[in-house]
Amino acid sequence: MEREAAELFEEFKELTASEFFRRNKQMLGFSGKIRSLTMVFHELITNSLDAAEEAGIRPEITIDLKRVGKDHYILKHTDNGPGIPEAFITKVYCTMFAGSKFRNIQSRGQQGLGCSGCVLLSQMTTGKPAKVTSSYHEGDKLRGVEMTFKMDVKKNQGLILSQKNVETKSSGVSIELHFKDVSYSLSEQGAYEYIRRTVIANPHTKIRFRDPTGHKYIFERATDIIPPLPKEVLPHPRGVTADDLIFMAKHTDKRRFRSLLTSSLSRMSTKRVNEIQEVTGIDLDKRPKDMKWEEAEKIVDLFSQMDFMAPPTSGLIPIGKEQIEKGMREILTPEFVATNTRNPKTYRGGVAFIIEAGITYGGESGRIVGDQKRAEIMRFANRVPLTFDQGSCAITEALKSIDWKRYGIRDLDNAPITVFVNLVSTNVPYLSTGKQSVAPEAEILHEVRQATMKIARSLQKYIRAKKAAKEEALRSQLFESLVPVVIREAALLAETDVPEYDAVLAKVTRRAKFEGLQLNSEVEDE
Amino acid sequence: MNKKDIAARKDIAINKLKSLGDKIIEDVNQNSVPAIKVPSRGTSNLVYDEDKRYYILGDRFGQRSLGNVKQINKIAQMVYMANFCKDLVRRSKTATLREMYYVSEGWDVDFGDQQESNIVGEDLEVTLGMTREDLGLMPEEDGASVYGNLTVREDDVEINALKSGKSGYTISPTIDDVEFIEADVKRVIAVETMGMFHRLVQEEAYKKFDTLIVGLKGQAARATRRFLKRVNQELKLPVYICNDGDPWGFHIAMVIISGSAKLAHVNHDLATPDAKFLGVTASDIINYDLPTDPLKDIDVLRLKELLKDPRYRDESWKTEIKKMIKIGKKAEQQSFSKYGLEYVVDTYLPEKLDAM
Repeated sequence: MEREAAELFEEFKELTASEFFRRNKQMLGFSGKIRSLTMVFHELITNSLDAAEEAGIRPEITIDLKRVGKDHYILKHTDNGPGIPEAFITKVYCTMFAGSKFRNIQSRGQQGLGCSGCVLLSQMTTGKPAKVTSSYHEGDKLRGVEMTFKMDVKKNQGLILSQKNVETKSSGVSIELHFKDVSYSLSEQGAYEYIRRTVIANPHTKIRFRDPTGHKYIFERATDIIPPLPKEVLPHPRGVTADDLIFMAKHTDKRRFRSLLTSSLSRMSTKRVNEIQEVTGIDLDKRPKDMKWEEAEKIVDLFSQMDFMAPPTSGLIPIGKEQIEKGMREILTPEFVATNTRNPKTYRGGVAFIIEAGITYGGESGRIVGDQKRAEIMRFANRVPLTFDQGSCAITEALKSIDWKRYGIRDLDNAPITVFVNLVSTNVPYLSTGKQSVAPEAEILHEVRQATMKIARSLQKYIRAKKAAKEEALRSQLFESLVPVVIREAALLAETDVPEYDAVLAKVTRRAKFEGLQLNSEVEDE
Repeated sequence: MNKKDIAARKDIAINKLKSLGDKIIEDVNQNSVPAIKVPSRGTSNLVYDEDKRYYILGDRFGQRSLGNVKQINKIAQMVYMANFCKDLVRRSKTATLREMYYVSEGWDVDFGDQQESNIVGEDLEVTLGMTREDLGLMPEEDGASVYGNLTVREDDVEINALKSGKSGYTISPTIDDVEFIEADVKRVIAVETMGMFHRLVQEEAYKKFDTLIVGLKGQAARATRRFLKRVNQELKLPVYICNDGDPWGFHIAMVIISGSAKLAHVNHDLATPDAKFLGVTASDIINYDLPTDPLKDIDVLRLKELLKDPRYRDESWKTEIKKMIKIGKKAEQQSFSKYGLEYVVDTYLPEKLDAM
């Protein structure tokens, strides 16, 4: 029996973002039990840090993870940020693609799915509602509101179940979520490690964490300096696509395409615009809305052939070498630290980035595997730890390509060191949707190598000096134990009393210090 | 050596050992860092002494200073060992190198292995200019066998080398403590193998040639060389050596005659420059038409090395070596058996001795 088209299309539906991600949760990074929980931590911590920094508050986060059954956890996450006004609570937690981050700006998260994704995962695995307490300033007063809600995935919005006003002492947000099919792990990919690394890259942050066994960790802040907020920068011509141009043209208030180009792109002078008009023959004085796709494509093609100044780097806020050192010292309590922040560079000709690196030796550096200390590589993008997909990441690739032997490290895998690399950029070139590994852009590989090799040289000096000091101590010890023996036995041999030998011993131990510089008088040819 | 000589040798040993301690204590009393000069034993410090006709050590020496990380350990080992030796000599005891190595376990300074303690033993020998036997240190192995009319005294026991069984008298490692009492022989013939030794005993060569027969058992031990030197010097007996006709046999003879390079510091006690090589020579191989083996590569290599060695500078040696390389053949002592077991004693030896 044949069916009519209309009949077939009865089943045709429009999918909301929430519904789409309900069916494709791995696209939010929720794949695997350990990874899912780490991603939840990531989203919540990132949001808290961003909110506190924007409000000029030193972030302080308290996380309590309870295990109530096999793979079943209750997570309570509390911050000291500015809080969320009542009207925005369900928007933040229940609406996908809502947020303030759809700009060309250096930011921790980039998808705008963050918190709502966590609520979605909780609801999908347990069916339980989310509970949020928000406390925020309204005029001079502090307002507190407690809410339980579910997400209506069909409508991509929240469904409030209960709501009441509560007394609070300070601003901030607390959220409680149930999760199943997740798993807490101490491994490199686990939630604990995520927190630890976050604190290293964000030394202005304090995190308290109670793990499922009841153990309480306190990661103290190593600095009181809140990093400046990143500024939005205009995209560089090399970094835009034809679609971007059409999008800009549709949403601009400029009257002519010419002025749209100069006002929406960086490094775009009138001279360059004239060149474009000359080469492409497109009338740039026409209205932006009249721009055709083919024309946009032509212009973008031309961009790649033109010489532009490197993109502005004012939008990039590195952690800074002093701050990295503080973070690493606080968490890793190493014997030695060296850090380095490179000058901004660009990849693909138009995207600015900065590489920062740190290296620590001794203390808590490295990872203990079995009874051996292995080197630990900590990768970050805009201060966010990248804990998955290490093998395919450009940062790992660059570090492995360094000839570590030249720096006194026999092999990278088996040294008690931690290597820290942070990639700062308005547009981090991730390899996949999970956003856990950086694409191997030649410029990024080069910068990671340069940044790391410089601090590796300092480490080499330190290891050398340490070795020399140890040998020196051994030498003194050798003399102090053997000189009396030789003199005692010599006296026995000569059949005389043991003479006073303090002066000789002093001479000998003092000489030992300069021995490395002296020519050996021995004619050694046995 | 008689008892008086033996006692004198002991006194010298003890005094030399004590002087080592004196040197160190004196340096300490003068507030200077003690250092001991140890003659260098490297090949670059070996000199062939044309007058003495054996190798001696040159003038070069190394320093063992108390102020040097590497050397202080060696100085400590040396002083400890000197004390141990002084005690041995004083009590008229001996110990093997291995025994000393084990005794050193109780010392405040370690030896990594016996090799290391042996080297320090040699250091002590060269520094003091004494053989280790003088210092009471003995090798593990016995010396050669001696058959013939020689009477010796070891402690209070008199031994006649004709009445010590068919294998003869065994040269003790402490040969310097042995006194020669009586000898009724005109010469000494040393042979490389015990096979030939027994042949000579059975054929009564000791009677025919009025000789002592010495079975070297390959490369001669230090005690054997000391024995040969002593019979040559004290009893004025000519010494003849009869070995296999190959580079190895040549060199066993040469070490007895001119001393070894490794023990250059004690060659004055070990080398017997007047000893003579009887054969088997390359000429013997041709003249007696002996059964032969072809020279191996390693034999040829060794023969060429010998040509460069100053100990073989005599024309007669050079001619024989070159001849052997030319004919490309070598022969064992026992190859004379081709003409009957008695041939070597009845024909070969008399002819060779006559020619000397």
